[in-house]
Amino acid sequence: MTSMTTSQPPTPFVSARGISKSFGGVPALVNVSIDLIPGEVHCLAGENGCGKSTLIKIISGAERPDSGEIVIDGVSHAQINAHAAIQGGIQVIYQDFSLFPNLTVAENIVLTAEVASGRRLYSPGSVLPKAKAILQELELDLDLDREVGDLSVADKQLTAICRALVNDARAIIMDEPTTALTHTEVSRLFALVERLRARGVALLFVSHKLEEVLAVSQRLTIMRSGRQVVSGPTSEFDQRSISRHMTGREVDESRVVSDLDLTAPLALEVSKLSLAGAYRDVSFGLHRGEILGVTGLLGSGRTEIAESLFGVTPADEGEIRVGGKLVPIRTIQDAVTARIGYVPEDRLSQGLFLEKSIADNIVAASLESHRTRWGTLSRAGIATTIKQYFVGLKINAPNAQAPVRTLSGGNAQRVVLAKWLATAPTVLMLNGPTVGVDIGSKEEILELLRVEAAKGMSVIVISDDAPELVAACHRVLVIKQGRLTHTLEGDQITVDTIQERMSA
Amino acid sequence: MSPDTKVRNEVSQTNANSLRQFNHQLGSWTRQFVRRPGANRGAGRMVVALLLAVTLFAILNPRVFLSPINLQNIAVAAPEIGIIAIAMMVVMLTGGIDLSLVAIANFSAITISTLHTAIATTDPDLANNLGVVIVLAGIAVGMLGGAFNGFLVSVVGITPILATLATMQIYNGIAIVWTGGSTLYGAPAMLGAIGQAAVANVPLLFIIFLVVAVLVAILVNRTALGRMIQLEGANPVAAQYSAIPRRAVLLKTYTVGGLLAGLAGVLFLARNPTASADYGSSYVLLVIVIAVLGGTNPTGGFASVFGVVLATLTLQVVSSGFTAIRLSSYEYAIAQGVILITVMIFDSVSSSRTKRPKKLDPQLPSEASPTEAALLRP
Repeated sequence: MTSMTTSQPPTPFVSARGISKSFGGVPALVNVSIDLIPGEVHCLAGENGCGKSTLIKIISGAERPDSGEIVIDGVSHAQINAHAAIQGGIQVIYQDFSLFPNLTVAENIVLTAEVASGRRLYSPGSVLPKAKAILQELELDLDLDREVGDLSVADKQLTAICRALVNDARAIIMDEPTTALTHTEVSRLFALVERLRARGVALLFVSHKLEEVLAVSQRLTIMRSGRQVVSGPTSEFDQRSISRHMTGREVDESRVVSDLDLTAPLALEVSKLSLAGAYRDVSFGLHRGEILGVTGLLGSGRTEIAESLFGVTPADEGEIRVGGKLVPIRTIQDAVTARIGYVPEDRLSQGLFLEKSIADNIVAASLESHRTRWGTLSRAGIATTIKQYFVGLKINAPNAQAPVRTLSGGNAQRVVLAKWLATAPTVLMLNGPTVGVDIGSKEEILELLRVEAAKGMSVIVISDDAPELVAACHRVLVIKQGRLTHTLEGDQITVDTIQERMSA
Repeated sequence: MSPDTKVRNEVSQTNANSLRQFNHQLGSWTRQFVRRPGANRGAGRMVVALLLAVTLFAILNPRVFLSPINLQNIAVAAPEIGIIAIAMMVVMLTGGIDLSLVAIANFSAITISTLHTAIATTDPDLANNLGVVIVLAGIAVGMLGGAFNGFLVSVVGITPILATLATMQIYNGIAIVWTGGSTLYGAPAMLGAIGQAAVANVPLLFIIFLVVAVLVAILVNRTALGRMIQLEGANPVAAQYSAIPRRAVLLKTYTVGGLLAGLAGVLFLARNPTASADYGSSYVLLVIVIAVLGGTNPTGGFASVFGVVLATLTLQVVSSGFTAIRLSSYEYAIAQGVILITVMIFDSVSSSRTKRPKKLDPQLPSEASPTEAALLRP
């Protein structure tokens, strides 16, 4: 008997077994099982929409599974609620960290544990020593008195990890923890992960970055379309096999870029653009028909540059010329008048009117151009526009009256794209055009951009998805800490170079 | 079983049959309404509510309730409330609210009455000849009041409920100071004529109400401004990112609200040639009830003018029905609250029924293409 237990793998702290879950008849998870073993990092890899988030939500009690069980410390539960999961020692660190920005680091670390322990009175004096103890234990250097809202992304993450440990976390689930971190910050995080392992914490690391998956984890589970494709020790995988399991095919993201007429006039010229606290001295030109990539880490200033060109947060200094003419862009109306369109980063809250119909969304930015001479809207004109884009962009819905809320990521993005194409822009900027979009749609959206560019529209793609930039862009600008550091052209545009220049 | 009861049973049988047919027809109509997306849901359920209310009171006291005088009264009393409710609906479409509408209406009425009286003391004929100008002045005052609300909300950036609470007090206060709190008598003769006139037994006031409703429906659904108002209410952030000029849209919205309220003030005088600062104080909240009953989404983005018209009529029917069965205005107030809650419950039940299966995690299964989803299905 004893000999058997020694040969067996260590007992998992948390196991999810045979978990299935569907939303409105569409399965999100089909019979997925996963073990979290103390002192081990388990990586959960898969593309957007493969079911990773649903699985995390089920393990942490935020969603209930349709079938299957969750075993914590040997006790089986058909479902757990969030409270029970936290009591059981399962902590999730989401991408937004769920911290209170107006409280100090110390308060953030200790407060939830204080609340959970049922104490009704809070004494500021008791907070500091507890928070200090945990920092010392993890050998971290954080200013406990600072407000969390002022911290860098990496420090916020550390705060969230400390909070999890104060809550006696025995399993920590991290959702895409490295997305917003620089190289150094990632190494610091990985060092911390090693210390957590030494403490016997079971970690579940959700990621789709292959190198990290290989570097940090001991065990790997790959998911695709709600199914568990493969599970096993990380040592049995390499980048190629992970990628193949994740996508289910050999990924063809080959570079398809048209020849660019460099004698064509510049559609957009940006010179010495600066915005305090965001970016400085950014200058570049954009040719007619060019697809220009702008990349950089989260927080590098790439989004801020785009939002300045679109008038959301106007630049402090510098000049913007559209078609050779100097245009002061102070408001979004200025940008749209200069025929600049912008597909924003946060599609759901900035790009779409979710409860409104596809039709209403498509014409939302071009209402003024559909006026009749009576001042009313031309119903025929609107119908033509809607039909043109609903059919032309292959938006997959029963009809154009369906609310946008019911659409998938790829189709919703096409609606935002349609809204801007309907304004006939000369420059169209897209921020993260294929985030949360399935692979098939992704390829089609990139192809759409190539077609529009060939017709003469200039396109700026803001993205940190290197393969996507390689697939579609004539040139790629790399932004680092608010400065334009590299301009990649032609053969220089490869996934490796982009990633290296981005985070070096 | 006596032959007598048998006959009665047969009669009730045929009654039941026709009732069933009627019910069936009603069912298919309501289904048609309900199937239309969003805004018309308010109209659909209010058709049912109005029919229920009319049927109920017609049964309880047919002699009084169905009398021509009572029906006329409903048609004459509804327009002023209805137009303010439509104004409220337009403002609520942007996600805002305007508590000052009734105060603006009174202000407009007082302006008209005062101007008329001032001119009439020297030259009564001139006053009546200038009737149109005086009325337009009253409406203009309403527009100004609305524009000031719009300025506070859009340019200064005060939350609508607070901005209009403040202006309600201001307009009301000025009106009381101006009139000394007393009731003014006197209005252009043309208003009295309008109040009395009827076309084919339908009071002219009611026709004006319907015309206003149609015009506002065109504004909301068939003009760029109307669509922008809806989009602003549906998602202000996306509206901003779609280059919808927020300030201008809000300014115009509240100005239209003020214009309609000013017009309601004109109707006050047409019904009754007196004006006072505290007229229709119960309307302030009643019009919100009507707007919401009519299908206006309190958070903005969706509304139906037709629904608001029906809701106005329903509440007016309940009001006069209560009078017909001798219930007090306090009991009418209770009924308003009960109707609102009932409709809201009905709403949340039916919307959760239609929405629940569609509750998708935006990142998740929606990503699977239909064929993929079909393959995954166990």
